[in-house]
Amino acid sequence: MKRRNFIKVAAITGATTALDSCGNPEHQLIRFIPEEDLTPGVAEWKPSVCTICPAGCGLMVCVMEGDAEVIRHGQAGLMKMGLAKKLEGNPTHPVNQGKLCPRGQAGLQVTYHPDRLAHPLKRSGPRGSGQFQEISWDEAIRELVSRLAALRSTNQAASLAFLTKPLSGQRRDLIEKFLQAFGAPPGISFEPFDETVLRRANELSFDRPQMPTFDLARANYVMVFGADFLGTWNSPVAQSVAYGVMRQGRAGSRGKFVMVEPRMSQTGANADEWIPAPMGAEGILALGIAHVILNEKLRPSGEAARAGQLVDGWAKGLPDYTPQAVESSTGILPATITRLAREMASHTPGVAIIGGAPLAQTNGLFSALAVNALNALLGNVERPGGLLFTPPLPSNLPAPGGAAPASFAEIRTLVEKAQGLQGLLLYDANPVFACPRSLGVREALEKVPFIASFGNFIDETSVLADLILPDHSPLESWLDHVPESGVPEAVVSLAPPALHPLHNTRAMSDVLLDVACQLGGPLAAALPHRAFEDMLRAAYEGLGGPKKQEPKEAGAAWDKMHAQGGWWSAEVQKPVFPARPVSHRPYANHGPAFDGAEKDYPLHFLPYASPMFLDGSLAHLPWLQETPDPVSTVMWGTSVEMNPRTAGLKGIKQGDLVEVTSQHGSLRAPALISPGIAPDTVAMPVGQGHEHFSRYASGRGANPLAILAPMIEPETGALAWAATRVKISRAGDGRLALFAGGLRQHPQNEGER
Amino acid sequence: MQIRYRRVYMLLAAGALAGVLLKPIIYGGEQAPANPAQSQTSPEFTPAHRSFADAVRDFFGFHPTPVQPIAYTHKVHLANGMECANCHNGAENSPVAGIPSVKLCMMCHQAVATDKPEIKKMAALYARNEDIPWQRVYDYSPTAHVKFNHAPHIRAQVECSTCHGDMRQRTVAVRTVNMNMGFCVNCHKLRKVSVECITCHY
Repeated sequence: MKRRNFIKVAAITGATTALDSCGNPEHQLIRFIPEEDLTPGVAEWKPSVCTICPAGCGLMVCVMEGDAEVIRHGQAGLMKMGLAKKLEGNPTHPVNQGKLCPRGQAGLQVTYHPDRLAHPLKRSGPRGSGQFQEISWDEAIRELVSRLAALRSTNQAASLAFLTKPLSGQRRDLIEKFLQAFGAPPGISFEPFDETVLRRANELSFDRPQMPTFDLARANYVMVFGADFLGTWNSPVAQSVAYGVMRQGRAGSRGKFVMVEPRMSQTGANADEWIPAPMGAEGILALGIAHVILNEKLRPSGEAARAGQLVDGWAKGLPDYTPQAVESSTGILPATITRLAREMASHTPGVAIIGGAPLAQTNGLFSALAVNALNALLGNVERPGGLLFTPPLPSNLPAPGGAAPASFAEIRTLVEKAQGLQGLLLYDANPVFACPRSLGVREALEKVPFIASFGNFIDETSVLADLILPDHSPLESWLDHVPESGVPEAVVSLAPPALHPLHNTRAMSDVLLDVACQLGGPLAAALPHRAFEDMLRAAYEGLGGPKKQEPKEAGAAWDKMHAQGGWWSAEVQKPVFPARPVSHRPYANHGPAFDGAEKDYPLHFLPYASPMFLDGSLAHLPWLQETPDPVSTVMWGTSVEMNPRTAGLKGIKQGDLVEVTSQHGSLRAPALISPGIAPDTVAMPVGQGHEHFSRYASGRGANPLAILAPMIEPETGALAWAATRVKISRAGDGRLALFAGGLRQHPQNEGER
Repeated sequence: MQIRYRRVYMLLAAGALAGVLLKPIIYGGEQAPANPAQSQTSPEFTPAHRSFADAVRDFFGFHPTPVQPIAYTHKVHLANGMECANCHNGAENSPVAGIPSVKLCMMCHQAVATDKPEIKKMAALYARNEDIPWQRVYDYSPTAHVKFNHAPHIRAQVECSTCHGDMRQRTVAVRTVNMNMGFCVNCHKLRKVSVECITCHY
């Protein structure tokens, strides 16, 4: 027999033997004793809090018994444990009222993500290489404590910075107390789509430095400037529920919805009337409408009070904003402006909403103040059917929003002062990805001698860390959140862990408490709680009314709070309307300024929060990657959206690879030809283009934030992320993954099918 | 030349096939599998079989008796006044009756009969934070697509012994009742309950 044939035969026989003997690998694993007692096959719904965005929706987690492959005491094995099968909205929660957005639904994959960090890590390769080695929690905490103790003993405590995702409630309070007692500056809460401008405008106009809430359910007329309020902006689930009531839930009175934006968003596609205003001209249009109302005396001019006084020329009836003047800067017909003004004035209550790209201009604050003044003029503020503010909690707990995080300005300062930084703590903030590359965040952070990260994934920022102390997933943690907006009443979303920890992780809050205890001194005194649960209880138990004296009922309020998923006041609280006089000079429009000359860079560049990934922090979840964009149906990638006319000029066809170049860089992505975008604008969803962010997001698509110019809204220091001009050119053939053929529902011609 | 080699291949292939086919018949019945932690069918719900041998065993309806890691005796526990549902507490309200974790056993056996070798074995597992690797006794072939739910049967007051035999006479559990489709349908007919396909096969 030839050797070759012998090998063939041996392979066949061997395969059969192997087939027979190979067991199911699960059965080679040992079984650990379960940590909880569950009835197999019976679902238990436990409350939790959605941490995907800052809206603070209440969750119900479907927990069922299942087998999980876990590692306990260094040994791999199987364990029967409660596993989350599905997330839904908490029906009793006042923010989302039982509803949940697709991002919230996909939050389940955070817990079971294959690339989630399962144990503490220490950097073993050069910084940024992504090479880490596993260490024990004792080692990790010892390392962190010794680094912090060294900073403190050398009087360098002030050179420690803490960079977090937007947090609220006790987790933020814990970080603030920690930093204060340590002697470090306050933590920086990083929001890529900086809302500082709107918070600042609301502070100026209404003395409320927080995001607004809209009583859409009772509104008759809604005019929205740029805000994707049904998709990604502010408190989208609460707003969508109320919007549904406005449009279809009231017999005989369907509210009108007008959308002003240069690119048709998911929200704009729902509007009765869609008005493409040029970028940065939204405030001018709002004042044009206010001019007509004032001129025709549809509302008394004094109604706007303080909000009006902040706008230059208000007292004189806005002479610079006649419909003809507004037409010359926006291209919107005077007849349209007059009609909109009359409709708005006669269909009260109503509300004008501004958010997103209009505020990300160099005149963002002016536009926000203009819309605030229009709302005040129409009598929409703090009225049913109008603009409201979520009241603070009825105790001395931190207010929702509170000290508004001026995040981009703080990041800029951090980058400038990075030389002097001795230590950086990170918690799920990713400025390396989400800041314009021209800012040099990565280069600045690389110089910091010690970086520790608490996040449970490796992303572009935490890959630079020296030490990673992975947090529990949100479903495994004690959570609290004080929604800044979305509800007319004070709310605390609060929930105990719905699951036992799957991996060898520890809650960031518990690690900080432990570190504070080990560091001793003022830190231990400032944070006396041994567990975050105790801290939450101490903070929120008092909300449930006076403490009962009978021992039997002592914990009743607390038990009720975490059984229902939070605390909310029964009656709507009377808002405190500001009586203080205006302390600022009136603001005039100093035109939007754009980076790049119009001659060389003819197109506006509009990055927008992706309906699936928001600012990119969710690109690691495969359910969201495979969900088509609701308007364009793009999935598993990015696209550059452009008008057919713009594309035609450059000879670009659907799916062609397009190079987008700004003064600060360029990127390539396939073209998406859409009639719903102004010819002078190209738009891109934010969220793809990650370098290090799990197997599902790394190396996929392009990141539009990277090529932005570091343009600043001068009054607030916020990043003007929609103030960059670009040019485009065809770079070759590309691939565009569209679901169900894209924008057109029906082929126009029979042959196109 | 060629023909001679072809014969050799065929002989080898036939030998391999026969080995696989005969193995369950030779070893399957009473003798334990080499690794007690191997179950006979895949625990995943899939129409495919884990191995060719599994398919053959399934086709002929062989159910090798599993060897349990601890020689548990149902007889002693039931004689001492315990009920089935004390340990198999899922039966009343869940599809699965469930096997208790070693935690439940240790609630009593921390104090009771601690000198017995089997109890010592169990205590050693408990000390290592390991559960007892019980072997499945009752299951359905994945190709049968049967979904069995304990709870409605218990609600209909079907005795546990109807399907599981009289455990008061048994030490470790063995398949005393041949649970094939005929067995199920007979009882369903007797009790005048649904015999629609979709009741069990879905």
